[in-house]
Amino acid sequence: MTERFLSAYNNFVLPFLFGMGFVLIYCLIAMIRIWLQLSADDKKKVLLSLVNPKILLKDIRDLFCDCLFHVKLWKRNKLLGYMHSSIAFGWFMLIVVGHIECFCYFPGRLKTFYYPIFFRFFVAESQSTMQGSFFFFLMDFFLLMVLSGIVLAIIKRIRSRLFGMRRTTNLSLTDLIGLYSLWAIFPLRLFAEGFTADIAGGSFLTKSLNIVFHSFLGNHLNMLPTWWAYSIALGVFMFILPFTRYMHIPSEIMLIPLRNAGIQISNPRKGLAKVMVYTCPSCGVCIDACPMGITKRNNRDATVYLNRQLKRKNEGRIEEISDKCLLCGKCGAVCQVQIPGDKLRIAQRSLRKYDVSPDYSTIDAASLTPRAEGKVLYFAGCMTALTPAISKAMESILRKAGVDYEFMDKDGGLCCGRPLWMAGRLEEAKQLIAKNEELINGSGATTLLVSCPICYRVFKERYKLGDIRVVHHTVYIDELIAAGKLKVESADELSYVFHDPCELGRGCGIYDQPREVISRMGKLVEADKSHDESICCGGSMGSLTLGFEKRQAMTENALRNLTSENPDAIVTACPLCRSTFARYADRPVEDIAEIVDKKTL
Amino acid sequence: MKENIVIIGGGAAGLEAAYQLLTLGYTPIIIEKSGHLGGHLYDWNRLFPDMTPAKQVAKAMMERVKDANIFLNTEIISIDKKDDAYAIVLNNGISISCTAVLVTTGFQLFDAHKKEEYGYGIYDHVITNKDLEGWFNGNKDRRVDDKDGLKAVGFVHCVGSRDIKAGNSQCSKVCCITAIKQAIEMKEKYPDAEVYCFYMDLRMFGKKYEDFYINGQKDHGIHFIRGRVSEVSENIDGKVIVKAEDTLNGKPIKVTLDLLVLMAGIVCNSDTAKLASALKLPTDTDGFLKSKDNVLNIIESPKEGIFYAGACTGPKTVPETVAEARAAALAIHNHINSHKSWTSDSE
Repeated sequence: MTERFLSAYNNFVLPFLFGMGFVLIYCLIAMIRIWLQLSADDKKKVLLSLVNPKILLKDIRDLFCDCLFHVKLWKRNKLLGYMHSSIAFGWFMLIVVGHIECFCYFPGRLKTFYYPIFFRFFVAESQSTMQGSFFFFLMDFFLLMVLSGIVLAIIKRIRSRLFGMRRTTNLSLTDLIGLYSLWAIFPLRLFAEGFTADIAGGSFLTKSLNIVFHSFLGNHLNMLPTWWAYSIALGVFMFILPFTRYMHIPSEIMLIPLRNAGIQISNPRKGLAKVMVYTCPSCGVCIDACPMGITKRNNRDATVYLNRQLKRKNEGRIEEISDKCLLCGKCGAVCQVQIPGDKLRIAQRSLRKYDVSPDYSTIDAASLTPRAEGKVLYFAGCMTALTPAISKAMESILRKAGVDYEFMDKDGGLCCGRPLWMAGRLEEAKQLIAKNEELINGSGATTLLVSCPICYRVFKERYKLGDIRVVHHTVYIDELIAAGKLKVESADELSYVFHDPCELGRGCGIYDQPREVISRMGKLVEADKSHDESICCGGSMGSLTLGFEKRQAMTENALRNLTSENPDAIVTACPLCRSTFARYADRPVEDIAEIVDKKTL
Repeated sequence: MKENIVIIGGGAAGLEAAYQLLTLGYTPIIIEKSGHLGGHLYDWNRLFPDMTPAKQVAKAMMERVKDANIFLNTEIISIDKKDDAYAIVLNNGISISCTAVLVTTGFQLFDAHKKEEYGYGIYDHVITNKDLEGWFNGNKDRRVDDKDGLKAVGFVHCVGSRDIKAGNSQCSKVCCITAIKQAIEMKEKYPDAEVYCFYMDLRMFGKKYEDFYINGQKDHGIHFIRGRVSEVSENIDGKVIVKAEDTLNGKPIKVTLDLLVLMAGIVCNSDTAKLASALKLPTDTDGFLKSKDNVLNIIESPKEGIFYAGACTGPKTVPETVAEARAAALAIHNHINSHKSWTSDSE
């Protein structure tokens, strides 16, 4: 291998160099700004995480699995997974192998950024060697991999349904420029390397191309313009990258260590949230996932559009999208880069200033404290107070199982704080949480049994309850049956489908115990979409603006999903889901406690 | 006269229309699904505003229709339009061809189980307005625990009316006055009892209703609390605890009651829906049958030869139902006459 030019330079590398320089400086400044926005605590957490071998290992694993191999996408749809990982991994390998190749032959040239990128222009193959053809083959192989990904990407733009996506995002103008320049890069590279294949060498792809189209590619006068075009495509892509969805490439690299360090969103525009917003690749998987999407008008309220508006600082739309959401969390469950759309929205809601704020700090907790030394403390919650059949069934179950319990809010109690938290009124929520902590910790109870997943989630996530175990009734009933304290009298032939309530499933990760319980009562069937892809009932108190009529379409859609296997009854474990479904269902809707109470001794 | 007229439903509207048609010289056919005539009057005890016994009213109405053809325990299997007439097949094997059909299928009460937060069917001492009338009529009801008399009774207005979430946004119209009537009757039975009415608005639109309301407050000391009940629960003794907001005082209140009465609202009779789909009769946005015109022609359907009277087109009081039934009888009479003159002209 010899160098063709003593200067090792040609003007065509300039567009690439400018683009590269620009994007590197831009990302560096952005990184520093984000770092400065983090609180002192968060900074400490991140720094500590980088010296923690366990977290560091996870960082590296996530970088490979998420950024290069797109493992989550593969699980969702093979074609979609192949398309993304072939481009990401193929391109990555082109850069890596290109650098190795350059290092092997002309290590001194590595310091010029452009040399490994345009290697084939600057060198000539003096004699065929094993080493040479090995590199040629690898480079052609990965180029083919990227090209196949690009072909799929073009097909996807035209027929997204082939890739399992019903709806996809509408791209903005800058996104389109980025997209077309990205598509242009690799075919241009193929042509450019095709020109030089008879000089610098090539393999099955570039060499063959050179031979087949010899009359054109063999004419070296055409060579330079093609290398210029290749460099310009690269330059344009990198120049526009910070203003397009492709910013997700550098952002994700930053997001992974931040997330693994365990820091939380505090401000929707700064720090972690900002990195998350820019990590959104606008793939639009959340559009199909969003339960509001059943009404066409709400298509543009999915998290992908929240992220876009946050980037554009379009305050009106940001507020509208944030307030409308039901906070079911499904967008986060399907999101390829795990952006928690619900938490972003709560953070946005928390910025709102209210003229009047309730003050719960004056509540006299001492007089409300239940006495439950060594007992189970049962907290039904306000939603269960509106569905008394559930608490009645639950009390009956506890009596049958001989559990010594105290009904904490039989005669009314304090709100758990979750509704206020969802509304973004974090300070008020914290006041209630503090009061309830005082009540529960002062009761002497050993276990806090909760019927409502909404309460359960906040008890789990935000309460400091020392040794008191917090347990949802689905789990508790499962344990009572397993321990033989509750005897199933009559399992029947009826089939039941279980609806995973958002706060219990996606919120707290409880999927198996309710199914275990139901399969002891009768035949368990699954809904079309279940577990972490379960569809919100539409009754969620997460939305601040969604009207009753608009929710109806969502409830009916969720019911269609649940009844795909035509079960005899719908079972859920959330009083709010139960009353929402009962309004429109064509078959019985029951809480798991009611079924268990009917079928046990 | 030979023309057959079929009246579907033997309640107040059906009986009154039948009587008027008999007077006009027709022999109408009454089809009644239950085993007795009189409809809801049969279940009620006394009627506002003069506390007339419902049985007496029903009896008087039944007396007058003896000459009509009456089918009890009978349901319609099919009903089809054949040329200018309607062919009806009954479940007793009889088929009828008739020139005019009068729909008097009336209403049914909203199923109070659906408002689970009020605890109907869950708590021991929660009943509906209809249950209470039955108890006034002497029916035994273990939910009304009157061994030591009743000390506190509550009435919840608008249960399943004016309630979008219950799927029923319209006002049931007659429950305000019914609740006050029943509250006064309770007070008359147990003068020492505290009686509470939880209402959204009180709509005292009819003759002497406002007097009722004033009497309820002044003479009987009934507590009228403006605010919806938020939550109903049960204490250890099985008594009903009601929490509500007194919106006029801006304060939450909590009362313990021996009996809670839910004023279940009026919804369209579910049998009417079947009939409507068989005859392709349109339903109005409130869920009741849609009249040809809601101002000038409430008693006519958009289909020729089908007429309406009473609560099948919306909640109504007994006097309103009776007036409509008379109007419908006259409309049917006119319909048959015009029909006759039209056929004789063409011959």
